[in-house]
Amino acid sequence: MDILLGSLMSGLLLGMVLALVALGLTIIFGLMDIVNFAHGEFLMIGMYTGLLTAQATGLDPLLTLPLAAGIGFLLGILCYGGFVKFLLRGPMIAQLLGTFGLMLVLRNIALMLFGSEDRALLHGLLVGKSFDIGMGIIISATKLAVAVLAVLSFAGVWLLMNRTKLGKALTATALNRQGARYMGIPTERMNALAWGIGSATVTVAGALIANFWSVNPYVGLTFTMIAFTVVALGGFGSVPGAFFAGLVVGLIMEIPGFWDFFAITFNIGWMAHVPMTSFKYMWIYVAYFVIMLVRPRGLFGWKQ
Amino acid sequence: MEAIRNAVDFSDFPWSDRMLALAVFCLLLIFPLFPYSAFAMATMIQFFIFSLYGMGWNTIGGYGGQVDLGKAQYVGIGAYTTMVCLLRWDIPFWVSMPIGACLAMAWSFIIGYPLFKLKGHYFAIATIATSLVLKDIFEVWKFVGAARGLGILPYKYQSPDFLRLIFKEDLYYYYVIFAFFVIGLLYMNWFRKSRLGYQLRSIKDNEDMARSLGINVHWAKIKTYAIATAFVSVVGSFHAVYIKNIEPEDTMSLDISILIALMAMLGGAGSLWGPIIGAGILIPLKNYLKEWLGAAAGLLGIDLVIYGVIIMLISAFEPRGIWGIVEKVRRRKRI
Repeated sequence: MDILLGSLMSGLLLGMVLALVALGLTIIFGLMDIVNFAHGEFLMIGMYTGLLTAQATGLDPLLTLPLAAGIGFLLGILCYGGFVKFLLRGPMIAQLLGTFGLMLVLRNIALMLFGSEDRALLHGLLVGKSFDIGMGIIISATKLAVAVLAVLSFAGVWLLMNRTKLGKALTATALNRQGARYMGIPTERMNALAWGIGSATVTVAGALIANFWSVNPYVGLTFTMIAFTVVALGGFGSVPGAFFAGLVVGLIMEIPGFWDFFAITFNIGWMAHVPMTSFKYMWIYVAYFVIMLVRPRGLFGWKQ
Repeated sequence: MEAIRNAVDFSDFPWSDRMLALAVFCLLLIFPLFPYSAFAMATMIQFFIFSLYGMGWNTIGGYGGQVDLGKAQYVGIGAYTTMVCLLRWDIPFWVSMPIGACLAMAWSFIIGYPLFKLKGHYFAIATIATSLVLKDIFEVWKFVGAARGLGILPYKYQSPDFLRLIFKEDLYYYYVIFAFFVIGLLYMNWFRKSRLGYQLRSIKDNEDMARSLGINVHWAKIKTYAIATAFVSVVGSFHAVYIKNIEPEDTMSLDISILIALMAMLGGAGSLWGPIIGAGILIPLKNYLKEWLGAAAGLLGIDLVIYGVIIMLISAFEPRGIWGIVEKVRRRKRI
């Protein structure tokens, strides 16, 4: 029983962070129909930012979030103004491959700067601490704090998108760019802003994830695929959709835990022999495929 | 007969193009006569391999306009079939290659049917997803050597082994893949003038219009996908006996899929010469950048940075590729 509850709990906590990872992608995609392959690389930059500033200054890694957000915002605007703007004029394949090129560049610059070895945070206020809430569930303090911060950031973005004039302008640009321009909305600036906000959220998520996940220059791709799945499930362009989908994908990533639970509880021999942890990421890809076939709009999607 | 005549008929290209192509063909034919390094030879073989991959991709991605970023899974199926057949049952290459192609095509039909219900970005990401699923399975599957992969021990075989296609000298491989290349080129030349080729182009231009003209859009796409798959899988089989050591990470990774699509796009997707031009530029560039900057100068990753910048520049400023530039110049001249 405790395996089940433990898996459920850690799946949900992870899901909240994954939702934050995918949020940036859904904003960018919803606004301008472009798939960003470099999304995971932005996350990696966020992870390095959190990790290196924490190590250099001795601050707690959780305090590096504003810096990560700032770097992400600048990076996003730079990418849009210097590169993505030109991609939008081309066909779809150019967008896919162009952002893939961006991903290669960012990844290998990180490789040149930081080397290929895994780095992990070893010090911090919460690192390594955990508390037992009974029934055998142990929650590590970092994961809980990270999940809470993720939810807070999420709420912030939701408020920005739904309760401010800026958010309205962004939504209007997404719905009808031509119409928005007639209403006097500077759509070009809105696009740049969406890239800024999108990559700021993902670098924040990266700085959070760095608390419990070791970082190397190659972490990006897995997270890119996770983010694609979350966004597909939640509906391309939907902010609350991304949140719930994040939770679901977090649970999908805990499938090995559930598998063990069934194998042990019902004492099914063959189940225990399947190396389920090796298939951890496969379920995400399978989930993407199935979601796209069954419900291409996603759970909360408003854009076909 | 009709088909063969169509395949060798290049008369719709201008005279200058045909002469240039013939000159390049002759140069490629006598390339091994010149003094060359082993590295140059390996690069040339890789050029042929990737231009064939690119031609396969070009059927569905170029003529059909369906951006497929999961071709690496079929490289893997072809390569692994040949490898497993050779190592376990000593089945020669010429038998295992068609088996691999059949397996790959069967798999392409199975996943192609649901896959082509999706469009645009959704389709592209779904192809990546299927490819990564297959890679994950191969990485834990003991029968095919799991993550460590499989390898041929070349000293077990007599060197010029034409049945199993195991040679000590790259020269033999060069001519074998060159023959494949010529056959592939002729096939593509036939394909672009075939009924399916025209159907695909109309699907690319306007899918609804194509459907209203009575084209079975879904089926046409699936068929083309299978053709593309067969191309890639056959070359994947060759790749296995040529490299002699395959593992999921370097036969089925996303980078391979992207490289295949990129090559066709750089040269010009949807044109006969596009993938060849693309491979002819990218493969030497990639190899020599790695040789000069990566290995020699000790800067890990700088070759890929430059390579990535080139990808970014092409896709931002010339998404129709080199053949697109050529056609633009020609059109301007005519007017």
